[in-house]
This record gives sequence, structure tokens and C-alpha cells, in this order.
Amino acid sequence: MMVEKGSPQQMSPRTARQRRNDRLVAGLVVGVVSAMLGLTFASAELYDLFCRATGYNGTTRVAGAAPKTVSDRTVKVRFDANVAPGLPWRFEAEHAEIELKLGETAEVYYTIRNVSGRDTAGIASYNVQPEIAGSFFNKIQCFCFTEQTLKAGESRQEPVVFFVDPAMLADVDAQRVRTITLSYTFNPVKAPVKPLAAVGTGVKLE
Amino acid sequence: MATAASHADDHAHEMPHGWRRYMYSTNHKDIGMLYLWFALMAGIVGGLLSVAMRLELQEPGIQYFNGLAQILQGASPETAVDVGKHLYNVFITAHGLIMIFFMVMPALIGGFGNWFIPIMIGAPDMAFPRMNNISFWLLPVSFTLLILSMFVEGPPGANGVGGGWTIYPPLSTSGQPGPAMDFAILGLHLAGASSILGAINFITTILNMRAPGMTMHRMPLFAWAVLVTAFLLVLSLPVLAGAITMLLTDRNFGTTFFAPAGGGDPILFQHLFWFFGHPEVYILILPAFGIISHIVSTFSKKPVFGYLGMAYAMVAIGVVGFVVWAHHMYNSGLSLATQQFFVAATMVIAVPTGVKIFSWIATMWGGSIEFKAPMVWAVGFIFLFTVGGVTGVVLANAGVDRTLHGTYYVIAHFHYVLSLGAVFAIFAGWYYWFPKMTGYVIPNWIGVTHFWISFVGANILFFPQHFLGLAGMPRRYVDYPDSYAYWNKISSYGSYIFAFGVVFFLAGVVYAYRRKELAGNNPWGEGATTLEWTLTSPPPFHQFETLPRITGANH
Amino acid sequence: MTRGLKTFGLAAASLLAMTGLALADYGIGEPGQIGLQAAASPIAAEIHWFHDLLVWLITAITVFVLALLVIVMVRFNSKSNPVPSKTTHNAAIEVAWTLIPVLILVIIAVPSFRLLKNQLTIPPADITIKAVGNQWFWGYEYAKDTGNIRFDSYMLTDADRKDPATQPRLLAVDNEVVLPINKTVRVQVTANDVLHSFVIPSLGVRMDAVPGRLNETWFKATREGIYYGQCSELCGKDHAFMPIAFRIVSDAKYAEWLAGAQKKFAAVSDDSRVAVNQSPAAKTAETK
Repeated sequence: MMVEKGSPQQMSPRTARQRRNDRLVAGLVVGVVSAMLGLTFASAELYDLFCRATGYNGTTRVAGAAPKTVSDRTVKVRFDANVAPGLPWRFEAEHAEIELKLGETAEVYYTIRNVSGRDTAGIASYNVQPEIAGSFFNKIQCFCFTEQTLKAGESRQEPVVFFVDPAMLADVDAQRVRTITLSYTFNPVKAPVKPLAAVGTGVKLE
Repeated sequence: MATAASHADDHAHEMPHGWRRYMYSTNHKDIGMLYLWFALMAGIVGGLLSVAMRLELQEPGIQYFNGLAQILQGASPETAVDVGKHLYNVFITAHGLIMIFFMVMPALIGGFGNWFIPIMIGAPDMAFPRMNNISFWLLPVSFTLLILSMFVEGPPGANGVGGGWTIYPPLSTSGQPGPAMDFAILGLHLAGASSILGAINFITTILNMRAPGMTMHRMPLFAWAVLVTAFLLVLSLPVLAGAITMLLTDRNFGTTFFAPAGGGDPILFQHLFWFFGHPEVYILILPAFGIISHIVSTFSKKPVFGYLGMAYAMVAIGVVGFVVWAHHMYNSGLSLATQQFFVAATMVIAVPTGVKIFSWIATMWGGSIEFKAPMVWAVGFIFLFTVGGVTGVVLANAGVDRTLHGTYYVIAHFHYVLSLGAVFAIFAGWYYWFPKMTGYVIPNWIGVTHFWISFVGANILFFPQHFLGLAGMPRRYVDYPDSYAYWNKISSYGSYIFAFGVVFFLAGVVYAYRRKELAGNNPWGEGATTLEWTLTSPPPFHQFETLPRITGANH
Repeated sequence: MTRGLKTFGLAAASLLAMTGLALADYGIGEPGQIGLQAAASPIAAEIHWFHDLLVWLITAITVFVLALLVIVMVRFNSKSNPVPSKTTHNAAIEVAWTLIPVLILVIIAVPSFRLLKNQLTIPPADITIKAVGNQWFWGYEYAKDTGNIRFDSYMLTDADRKDPATQPRLLAVDNEVVLPINKTVRVQVTANDVLHSFVIPSLGVRMDAVPGRLNETWFKATREGIYYGQCSELCGKDHAFMPIAFRIVSDAKYAEWLAGAQKKFAAVSDDSRVAVNQSPAAKTAETK
């Protein structure tokens, strides 16, 4: 540094104008901090929207009707079922795997059964693998859209109506997909604040 | 009492004495000193935790943590092993959080930043001295909360947070319902608030309070480093604050941001955490880059080579650092396109980092280098940071990360860049500025001996961990299959050597204080050109009552 | 280039052998091992090849930096060079040390992206199994169309281990997963409680187990043997005690095992979280 002594006019403390500038900069930075904080809290909603819009994370789409075109290419669809801890249900798919044409509408059934002696409610979360197939996997009807309540010992079959969009063939990564797995997990509704604490950590489930 | 603080501005020459001087301090040098002593204390606590971990890992089996569980958590002999296993997880969690939030950040940013940023840019103090005081005093409170969390219930039947520093849900929500996690979260909130306030102060100070003629492009590189760091802090820490608040409400108020049962997604937390977490590692290393630049230039008796490249390399690292976060999540189920993007973005960071390494070497090239203690540490830093950097390039490739993620290879990588990087830079800075801060000389042989003990110890400690990782040993394991015993034993020996180095360091500091050999204004000679060397050692309580006028920079 | 590397690698390997350090074994770490576990699948082999390439590159870079530092320390210390130069800029060299690293990264990126694509593009699978992480054991399910069994797999405690040679501490389990050689296996991974991570180093697979989400990966084992892995995402106190053990056998042995397993685990399946043996009585809608 090449330094020379300053003139006495530049004595500290700082002038009122300088203080105003300091507060301006600090205020702007506080604005940035608040904006980032706000974005973070909004992120849950934004992430959800983003996944729905793009099929990111293997999020499936919801369609109103079957597509008009049906391709000759087929794809295999596998069905997977899980029950989260805290829900005394059995849950299984009718088929391990089906093969269908792209654009073709299929209806498959899952069976849910309440094995406990009390009424319980569950709601399903879901994703597809590979992730890239999410935006081409369209559900027309699904039990996962709503909460399901089963009486003690009740068993029920629930349909899923879906198709795989032929547009998948135009996607550079997705066109290589030959098998898609649709996975559901039934979660207890009105989960206690600390579900595992209620069950007890480390307890072998059922 | 309040008068002492509020009048300090008005009666500039009045310096309060005793505990009030520090408790109510608004003076950047006193606060800097507080930060440094705090970091030292936290570093010892965090270091002891790691030595306990290495002691446990020295042999296969569980030898010590069952006993520790009985001593620290009052576990009965029957539950001692189970509580001990959890206690190990508590130790790794606390070690990580303490070293990051209470050791490296306070030392580099709060400590050296507070001490030297105002002086280097020719300012009398920080822009908001009282806020500076709050920034510091939030830290001990936060640290206390974190320590308290180790003594209240975490998972049923055991105390403390054992979720790792990443506190991923659901292990940090339904997995550990006890209040320990809430204590830790509040502790992190306070540490975050402290850093954000500090960052606001640094940004305002650096943008508004530079002495006449001190343009941005004449500013010392440490000031550039802290400026970039401060921006990273204000952009990333609120994301952590938000994410852990959501964790808190998921735990206590029934929200389901991260709980699949309510439509949430645990992966979202990972995105948020690493959106903070990756810039955080640059927050830890950028100030170190700044310090190393000054030391290399001083002892080579040459101006920094490629000053603008150095400054903008840090800006580039800061910017790109925000778009690489998902390289911590390659195995969480990201799609091909996502992984490809993050591989590419992550590898890009190697370029500005390479610019810095080569510029330091070019600064030395043609110089007349004196290998005083700070320079020895700095050269050690450059080499070891390179080693840590190149393993980062390996890990950046998702394909190879498939086999190395979550193993000791990662532990080795980030300890090479942080423990042998950031920590070596802290020691370099300490030996460089100790004479300026205290007015006393630390004999050169102490710094050099400390370096060699640490260099040998840290390499024996961390290099074999690459082998363990390649062989597949997962991290955060209290016990490991017998085939990993060999390198674990070697690694543990290294940690004892490194720890001995710290004891040696402390003895050296005490020795220097007792010896009271005066350093003079500039003990390092012609190469030391930044403004702090124009002041007395230690500098006056209020420096630059007449602001210096900067007429040029020699780079 | 590759052959040169191989020769050099062999030389280095024999050097290591002389120093008494063991080379990698399949499916398990070896005492003193300094490299990856031996590759038993095409993906693992590709990881090895690419990792070896990276090791040579980063070693070269590190040695280059070290050499520069040594030169600087020898030539430009205050004794050998009392008068420092004042050079602070050299446009050519600054451009060079920006562009050359970019070039090296591009060289790395090509095989890196190829490997990534091979890992994430799952070929048509012969067998689909599911691994479910729990605190603290793995549950496995063979899909309805490939065996239709499910069982849990716990680590053997020291008391349970009869033969330390074939039942390594912290790795041996009560129920191993058995799969045939040279078949493409799709592994779907999820978790029941907290995060876990499914890993088998020798087969080149790693996938996080996330509650409420199904992930998938794949391997094709090209060698018979036992392959161990360990949970790799912190999941609580027994994180280190929920190993993964996959035994790869011939087709004949696999068929034999499967028949036995279907009997052995029938009771377990019936009592398990999902009653797979109870087919729904009414089989209504066929797929369109």
C-alpha cells in the first residue's frame, strides 16, 4: 500500500450522511436475508409445484382423459406397495408387472386390508422410478388422490387408471426407459406429532 | 454500566477496564480477541471429542464409549453399550458443529476478520460496533445450548443429538423425539443469527468505510475474501435458518414439510441443507485463502501475483458455489440429467481454485522467500489444500461417488481442505498476526516445530482414511469390520500426534506472553505492506483517528 | 496409454505386495488394503477403470504442484535469491493455468458422463428385488414374478457366529440374499423409518433408502461369491450394525435356494407387513 497521512477533515467519528449510507447498505442486506428466508419457507410449496409441473422426483401427472394416439412401442409397468409404520394395514398390488402400449389406458387394482380391530385411515404417497418417467406417467383415477378409511378388519380393492404418454419417445433420456415402477406408501392419517415415539424407536414393526 | 458502552463513542480515548472492557466492548480489536479466544476454547472441546472418537476407533470393537456413557450419561452397565453407540453419534455431531460454527468461523471471520478488516481498509472500527458486540455474545449462548443438548434426551433412553451435523430428517424428527434436537436447533439459530449480523457488519464496513483512495481494486485480498464470504453468509444462512425452523415445527407443531406421511419430502431438507451447506464450506475456506495470499506475499517480498485474478477467482468460487449443492446427494435418487448438471458445475469450481494455487506459487516465484513460521504454515497449506482439492475432483464425478460417498474417503477429503486447509490457515494467520495483536513475539522455532508436529500428525491421521474409504469403510461408524483395523490404528496414532501439536501450540502461546519480547511495528520487514504494519503493535485502542490516504497499490 | 498404465499398475502392485500390504479382495475389505474392493460387476469394473484414471491424473497434478513448490523453495529462498523480482502479471501464463485445467476437466468429463449414464440406465432386468431399510436391519422382498418371498436380515452377534472365517464380524447376517450369477438384478430401495443407504462396493451399487419413496439401481454379478455391504446413511445407534450380504450362486443353486426359501419364509411372509401370499379373491379388471 502506498499511504500518506490524511488531512484532519477526515477525522472520525463518521458524519450523519455516512451513517445514513451505512444504514442503507445494512438495510439492503437485511432485505436479502429476509428474501432468502421467505424463499426457504416457500420452498416446500415451490418444490411441490416444481415436481408436479416437471415430473421431477418421479412425481406423476394427473390427466382428465386418455390420449388420442397410441404407439406400437410397449413399456412394462411394475407395481410396488408399502405401508408406513403406525398403520396396521396390508397393502398389495394385483400384478407384479404388466406390459402395455404407450398411450394405452390400463386399470389395475391394489388391495388394502385393515388387520387391526379398530377403524383406521390412511393416505398414500407415491412416486415412479425411473424418475425421468414421472412426467410421462399420467393417472386418470387413483385411490391416492383421497384419504382412505377402513373399518376394523375391512378389505377393499382400489383401482388405478393410468396411461404412459407416447411423448416419452421424443425425450432423449426417457425414450430408453423400458420398465417403470409405480410405488405407493400408505401413511397413517392424523399422524401423531412424533409418530415413531408413539410406536417406540427400534421396535420391530408388527 | 450502560454509560461505559454508550459513551465509548463520545469519549474515544476512554478505555473501560476489567471485564467491562470485553463484556460491553464495541471495539473491533477487543471483539476480535474475544472471538479468537472463544474459537480456541471451542477448538479444544471439538478436538477432545475427535480424540475420543479416534481412541474408540483405534481397535475394532467398542472399548471406550460404553464407559463414557456410564460416566457422562449415567447409563447402567446393562445399557452402557447401547447408550455408548448413541453417544458416539453425539460426539461426531458435536465435533462437526463445533468445529464449523464455533471454531473455524469465529476464528477466521469473527477473529481475524474483526481484527484486521477495519485496519486493512483504513477504517477506525466496524460500521456497527454495538451490533458487533451482539454478534459475538450470541455465540457463547449458542454454544451453551449445543453443549446442553448433549445432556438432555434425544432418542428414547439416551441423551444428546446423534443425527450428524447434517441433521437429516426423519432421524432428526421422528427418530429423536427428545428435546436434545430442539436445543441444538435453537443453538444453530443463534449461531446463524450471530453470523448474519456479523456479515451485515462486514459488508457495510467494506463497502462504506474504506479510507480515501482505497478503491475496491486496491483493497487487500483478505478484505475481498471476507466480503465474498459475507455475501455467501447472507445468502445461505437464512436457508439453513428456514430449514431448521421447518424441522422444529415438524417436530413440535405437527407440520409435515419433511414427513412423507403428510405429503412432505425428506429429500427437500437435503436440498435446503446443502444449498446452505455447500456455500458454507467456501465460507470456511475463502478467508483462509485471503490470509494465505498476504503471508505468501509478505515472506516472498513480492506483491501478490495476478491480484485481480485472485480477487475474482474468489468471487467465481462464491457464485458457482451456489449451484453445486446436489453433489452431496448423488445417491438420494436424482435423475441422470440432474446428476450430469451437478457433476459439470462442481468440476468447474476446480478452475478458479487452480488459479489461486498457481497464483500463490507464482507469487513465490522470483521472490526472496524467508521461511518464517507463518510462511512454513502457508506453504504447507498450499500443498495440503491441493491434495484435498484433487480428491474433491474425484468425488465430483457422480459415477465414482457411487462407490466413495459416505465413506472415509469423504472424511479424508474434507479434512484435507478444512482441517489441513482452514485450520492450517488459522495457525498461519495466528503466527503472522500474533505480534501485531499482542505486541509480543512468538519465537520462530515454536511456530516451525508446531508446524512439523501438525504436518506429520495430520497426514498420518487423514491420509490412511483415503484407503479406508476406498476399501469401503462407511463414515459415522463406532465399530468396523476387522479388516479395516490396520489403517484405523495408524490414523488414530496420527490424531494423538496432531493433538500433541495443539498442546505444544498452547504452551508456545503461554511462553510468548510470559517472555514479553516486543515485536515492534513490523516484525516481517519490507514484504509486509498492508496497513496494519504501519501501526504500533498492538495497535492503539482507536486507530486512524486521522484517516490514511491511499495513493496506490503495488500490485 | 491404457497398457502403459496397466504395466505401471502391475509394477506398483508388486511393490505393494512386497511391502506386505494386501490387495483388494471381492466383497469385503482386506487388512491394509489401499484400493477399491475388487470389481464383480461390469459397473464396478467401469468405476475401477475410471477411478484409476482419476488417480493417475490427480497424482500427476499433486506431484506437479509439489515440484513447483520445491523448485520455488530451493531457487527463491532468501539465501539463493536475495533480491526479489517485482513481476506481478504474465497474461500468457494466467490464460494457460485457466485453460489447461479446463481441458483436463473435459478429458475427465467424457468417461465420467458415460459411466453415469451406464449406472442410471437400467437394462431390462431378469430379477427384481426390494431392499427395505429399518432401524436396524434390512428387509428383502423378491417380487411376485421372481420368487415371491420376503424376509428380514439381521447381523449375527458374536454369540451367533459359529465360524469366524466364513462369518466375519459385523458383516455376517442370519439371512443372506441369494441371487444367480450373470443376471441383471434390479434393486429397489426404500425405508420404513429413517434414511438408510444400501451399498455393496464390489457390485458398484449405492442407493439411499428414503421413507415414502422408491429408489432403484441395478447390478449384474459376474462372479460367484459372497458380497458384503454396510448401511451408509446415519440411522441411529445401530447404524454400524445392519450389514448387507448378497450371495451370488449358479442358476441351479439359486433355484434350489429359492425353493427352500419359499418354504422357510412362508410363515414369515404370512405374518409380515404385507400379506403377499393372500391373493385377492376377486380378480376383476384385466389390463384393458
